[in-house]
Order: sequence, then structure tokens, then C-alpha cells
Amino acid sequence: MEYILILLLPIIGGLVYGVERVVRARMQNRIGPPILQPFYDMFKLLGKEPIMVNSYHIVFALMHLITLWVVVALIVLGYSLLYIIFLHLLSSLFLVLAGYSVNSVYSHIGSNRELQTIVAYEPILIFVAIGFYMIYGTFDIAIIREQSSAIGELLLLFFAFLLIVPIKLKKSPFDASEAHQEIVGGVELEFSGVFFEILYMARWIEYVFIYLLLFLFAGDNILFATVLFVTIFLLINLIDNATARVKINHLVRIVLIGGLSLSIINIVWLWI
Amino acid sequence: MGIQLLIFLPLLFAITLPFNSIRVRNVVTYIYVFFLMFITLNIFLNSSAITLNFPHIYHQIFIFIDSAVLLYFLHQALKYKNKLVLLFALVQIILFGIVLLMEPSANSYDILIDSVSLVMLLVVNIIGGIIIIYALKYIASEDFKECKKNLFIAILFFFLGVMNLLVSTNNLEIFFLAFELTTLCSYILIRYRLDDLAVQNALRALWMNQIGGVAILLALIASIMYYETIYLDVLLKVVDDMFLLPISLLIIAAFVKGASIPFDRWLLGAMVAPTPVSAILHSATMVKIAPYLILKIAPAFSPMLAMLVLYFGSFVFMSASILALSKDFFKEILGYSTIALLGFMMAMAALGTEEAIQIVLILIVFHAISKALLFFQAGILEKVYHLKYLHDIDYLASRSKLVVFFVLVGFASLTLPPFGAFIGKFSSIELLSSLIEENIFYVFPLAFILLGSVFLTLLYFKVVTKLLPKTNEEFEEVEIPFTYKFTSFALVALLIGGVYVSYLYSFLGTTEIVISSVLIVVTMLMLFVVNFKNVKIVKEYNCAEKDDKELGAFYFEIPALYKSIITYSVIVLMCMILIVGVL
Repeated sequence: MEYILILLLPIIGGLVYGVERVVRARMQNRIGPPILQPFYDMFKLLGKEPIMVNSYHIVFALMHLITLWVVVALIVLGYSLLYIIFLHLLSSLFLVLAGYSVNSVYSHIGSNRELQTIVAYEPILIFVAIGFYMIYGTFDIAIIREQSSAIGELLLLFFAFLLIVPIKLKKSPFDASEAHQEIVGGVELEFSGVFFEILYMARWIEYVFIYLLLFLFAGDNILFATVLFVTIFLLINLIDNATARVKINHLVRIVLIGGLSLSIINIVWLWI
Repeated sequence: MGIQLLIFLPLLFAITLPFNSIRVRNVVTYIYVFFLMFITLNIFLNSSAITLNFPHIYHQIFIFIDSAVLLYFLHQALKYKNKLVLLFALVQIILFGIVLLMEPSANSYDILIDSVSLVMLLVVNIIGGIIIIYALKYIASEDFKECKKNLFIAILFFFLGVMNLLVSTNNLEIFFLAFELTTLCSYILIRYRLDDLAVQNALRALWMNQIGGVAILLALIASIMYYETIYLDVLLKVVDDMFLLPISLLIIAAFVKGASIPFDRWLLGAMVAPTPVSAILHSATMVKIAPYLILKIAPAFSPMLAMLVLYFGSFVFMSASILALSKDFFKEILGYSTIALLGFMMAMAALGTEEAIQIVLILIVFHAISKALLFFQAGILEKVYHLKYLHDIDYLASRSKLVVFFVLVGFASLTLPPFGAFIGKFSSIELLSSLIEENIFYVFPLAFILLGSVFLTLLYFKVVTKLLPKTNEEFEEVEIPFTYKFTSFALVALLIGGVYVSYLYSFLGTTEIVISSVLIVVTMLMLFVVNFKNVKIVKEYNCAEKDDKELGAFYFEIPALYKSIITYSVIVLMCMILIVGVL
């Protein structure tokens, strides 16, 4: 069962992405694309002639996708949360390397910004894991999933986690690393055809990654997990539509200072 | 028997080397290095605890050498009219005299080898040996007299011998001797080029390290006065939480050797020396004294003292990583990352639990391998490609795939699973998380470590930024000399061996190690072996901008305010460590 789920990951991610585009369109009073639009895009991209700038660029993008897939697979199989966070860091670093491996200004700026966002969210992600450790005495996701929800004790860490969600999903106000209107997608810029599809698919899996982490806050309560998912999904898209982009250095400052203080206060509170 | 060989053979090697021709030098050095590695492995595999006492005459000789070294420092101070060197040399001479006048009563062994010392011996001799072989080629391409080149190799051997003495002794007087001798070696090596900058930096390294010497002498005096002993194992047993001054002073000595902020300038100044010197200072010798010493004395820490060292180490880890972001010189970046990681090692060593000791040892070993590998590349870039600064290393991927491979492996081994540095970081986060439940004050060191490690990652990427883009420009094919390749591959092999060892000791689960290893190997294979044939290659689109743009690495200006905050905080922490010693 789990293995089938793992194989179908991109499809699930693609569907979430498709639904999201419709939801966003409705929020803006548009009709929006069909839900399967991401897959139509995929077939179109796959049919194009393969073009590349250099082989490193492609290899790193491919490794980004593969590592991310492995990361989500490990979450599904219930491995150690701390290890998963570090492996996810590896996948993000592959993306950064891809951006650096071409001689293109926008690509480099994208990578620089990607790195800065990593600086901002990585410590907080680990603090979230530590919060779970303090409640359940383990980093193992399999065990965390079988316990009852601890969102009450971890409320501040949950808010810190919410700061990260728009970064990872490239949503306003924290989408400076991609910033279409400004640096034309950053790292994505130099990819085309089938290789662009690699990044596109990686983004779908990133969606699954972040929402699976969100489910951890719900513990073993599936109903609560669903409610949480729907609420956060709508909230993130609402905020995306309602806010403007924040500059990258402000992003780092807001997320790092805000997130870290929330995390530390939460952990001190847990200890008391 | 083996351990005496390890201590005295390198000294003998050093004496026999200076008068040979190039060919003899090469052959003899290979034999010597091989011999040292053989003895070390023999000791490591065969013995558990070794104890030994030197005959009385040795002690006389040691005192003689000590005095000679101190007088040499005094001589250098007068020669270069350096007040600080003069001051500390005089203070040391006086204190050393006082130590000699005192008569401690408790007795123990001069040489005492435990598992920590064994690992240190392994690091010193194996990685040190590889560095010497590398240095052989490096120094051959320098513009010095043959005799001076022989001397260079000889001093490196001498350094290894001194380090072997330092990590195996239990007698604080002998420890002081070895400590001073490492200071002497580094002084001579740093001023090796003898230009103004080299001499100036060497003198700075000298006076800073002499502070460590002063601290050890004061520790000795305090130890003899209150606990009547010069033996570390006795001291650790009888020491009382009410009077920890000897321990606090030894901690300060460790900070000096580990080039922790505010003593960081000596290690950064050491960059002017030939690259193998940096390699040996940063990986196998000198700075590794710091975590080693803390590991040794950690059992005597009071909870308060352990906490302070933990705060100090983790704070240095974070601050050095931040300070490094504004640097643009490959070796300087490596230097700051050494300072940072040493802070981390000392912080973990202060915890003193079984698990913490394992974490520190694994960090020591892997850091030594990775840093040696990276400095080798810095040397190759300098010698073969004539590149020194980050902004020069454009298009390295088109010039030399091999160097890019080694640099990537080097940085990967400092950050990523399944390598040791990652395992150290991972296990220490686990360890600190479990400690937080007992004492909430562990939360700040944990935060420092998390922040420090992301800043370090950022730092490593600063180097990688300009490494990868390819160009159609044609570069001359330059062959990298065999010795350079051979030594670098030897270190890569050690890294892989290390992964296997950490698998045996199950620091990480099997699945975790296998998955990350496969990912890394697949990446490397695809990068350096696989060819994409049927794909059309185009130039960058770059939004169709026509103007040529020069790409740069990112740069952070660190405000002077931050720098002074960092310096004052560490000084306050150091004072608190001393105060806790007396109270």
C-alpha cells in the first residue's frame, strides 16, 4: 500500500497543484484551468526537443527530484524526522547547485535567494522536530503518527511552521526566491522541455512533503488532519492572493527572528 | 615499546633528513611515512591501555629542552623587538622556574594511552603522513635552496613526533613541553618564507600561543599547590568542585590552541605559509589539541563549567561561521570553517558523556580528512593553475574536472550524510534534544549550533558558486602531478573507509547510510562519468540580455558592531570560566 502511494506521489502532488490553481482562480473571480492542467502541461513538455546548457545543470535538477522523492518516501514509511529534514536540505542544495552551474545572472540570483531562504527556515524546521521529540520522546515519524495530536502543546511551533509553508510552496509573501516578475523564476529560467518538467514535478512533490509534515501536528486523528489540511490550504492561498512579495532580506529576518523566538519560547514552555 | 618509537622516530627522521639530495629525500620520506603508519596501526590494533614511565634522565633532558625553547622565544623577541613575545616569554620563564622549584608528592605514569589518545595517534600519523608526502611535491616546486626544502620536511616530521608525545603524555610538565614545541614548530613553519608578512604573522602566532603556555604553567602551579600533583589522571581524580582553577586554565590553553575567537587571528595569519603547513595545522596537528584537551579534562568539569564551555564553543561555532561569510580567499574561508568546527567539537567535548566523546572523536577524524583534502586542492589551484582568490576560479569545471570533484567531495564530507561531520552534527542535535528535557539551558547552545551549521553550509556554497559553470573558451590542458592526485585519492579512500566504520558502529541506521551514500555516488557518477549524447547544447538564455555580465559570489559585509559584540561576549564567557574555577 505504502509503496503504491510512493510511486503515485507525483500524481497526487500534481492533483493538489491542479486543485490549487482552480481555487486561486476562484478567489480572483476567474474560472481557472482544468484540474488536470498540470498533466496536460507535462505531456506537452515531454514532447519537446531536449535542449540543455550543460550536463551538470541537468544532473543536479534530476538529483533534486530524486532526493525529494526519497524524502517523501521516507516520511510515508515513517523514518526519523530529523534525518528526513537533513535529506530534504540535501535536495534543496541540489537545486541551488543547479542554479549555480550555469552562467546566467537570473539563475545565480535565484540560487542565492534559495540559499538565503534555507538559512531562514532550516533551523526552525529542526526546532519543530525537536518539539516533537520533547513530546513523544522520539524522532520516528511512525511512532509520532500513532500518538494523539499535540498541537495544543506545540502551538507556537505550529505557527513557526506556518511561516515556512509559503516559502516552500513559493507563495506570496515569501516567494522571493522564485519571483516571476522580477528574476523570471530564478533557478527555473535556464531549463526547458523535458528538463523543465523535472523541476515542475519536483515542485509537486514539495507540496506533498510540506503537507505531510503538516499532518504530523494532527497525530493519529485523520479527521483533524483533513480539517487542518483544508484550512491551511485555503489560508495559504488566501494570503498568497492578498499580500505582496517581501524582499529577500526582510524574509530572512522575519522568518528567522520570528520563527526562532516562537520555537524557543515554545520549547521553554514545554519544559516548564 | 611502540609508543616510544612513535615519539622518538620522527625526531630521528627529522635529524637525518636535512643533508640529503632530492632523490634520497623523496625515497626516504616515503619509507619514513610508511613506517610511521605501520607502527600506528600496530599500536591501534593490538593494545588497549599503555602506561609507561620515563627514566629520570629523560626528565632532565626535557627540562633542558624546555629552557632552550623558552630562551629561543626570548631571543626571537629581542631580535624582532616584539614586546608581546618578550612579555610572555619572560612570564613563562619565571613561572617555569617556580614550577621547577615546587615538589609535588603524588606519582603516576608519564605516558598513559587511552582510547581518545589512540584515535589522536591515528589522526596524527596517518593523515599527517599523507600530508608530508603531499608536501614533498609541493615544496619541490618552491623557489628555495635544497637544504631549506629538506628542513621543511624535517620540521613536519618533528611536528608529528611532538604531537605523538603530546597526545600520549599524562604528565603535565611533559605536556607543557610538547605544547611549547608545537608552538615552536608552527612559528618556524609560518615564518618559513621569511618575508615581512610571514615574520609578522609568525610572531603573532607565537605570542598568542604563548598565552596558552602561560595558562598551562599557572595550571601546573595551582595543581601542585592545592592537589600536590603534576599528573593529569591524579588531578582529575582528586580535583574538587570548589577549586577548579587548574582545569579552567587548561580550558583557556585549549581555546588558544583551537584558535577560538578572540585568538582566531593566529590561525588566519598562518595562511601565508606554504599550503601544506595550513593543511597540517588545520587537520592533523596543532588545532586538534583543543578538542583533545577538553575531552581529557571534561570528567573534572562541574556542571556549571561544562555549561559555560558548551556556551562558549557553540557561540564560537556560530560567530566564526558568520564572520567567514565576508571572506574572499579560499584558504581564509577554510580557516574560519576550521575555527567554527573546533568550537563545535569543544562544545560537545564539554558534555563528557560516552556519546559526546564518540561524537567528538568522529568529528576530529573526519574534519582532519576533509580539511586536508580541501587544503590539498587549494595547493593544487595555487601551484598548477595559479589561482588564489575565489573570484578567480571561474570555469574551473572546464579546466579540471578532477579538482572540482575533490572540492565537491571535500565540502560534501563536511555537510552531508553519510559522512562523519554530518553524523556528528546529527547525533549532537539528538543528544542536546534529550538533554533539554533535564535542563532548559541547553536550548541556546542548540540554537547556536543549528544557526552555525546553516551559515557554514552557506559558506561552503560561496566557494561552489563559481566552480561549476562551463564555458566554450579553450583552456590549456595542465597535467596535475601524480603525487597530488595520489594523496587526494588516498584521503577520499579514507573518507569512504570512515563511512564504513561509522556504519559498523551504527551511528546512523543502515537504511539512512545506504540511501545517502547511493544518492551521493549516483550524483558523482552522473556528473563525472555519464555523457548526455542525444541532447542539443545551447548557450544560456539569460532572458536574451545581450550585455556580458560578470558573475560574482555573494558577499556579506559584517557590521563592526556585530564583530565587537562577538568579541566581548566570548571574552566575558572566558572570564566566567576562570571565575567559576576559583569559586
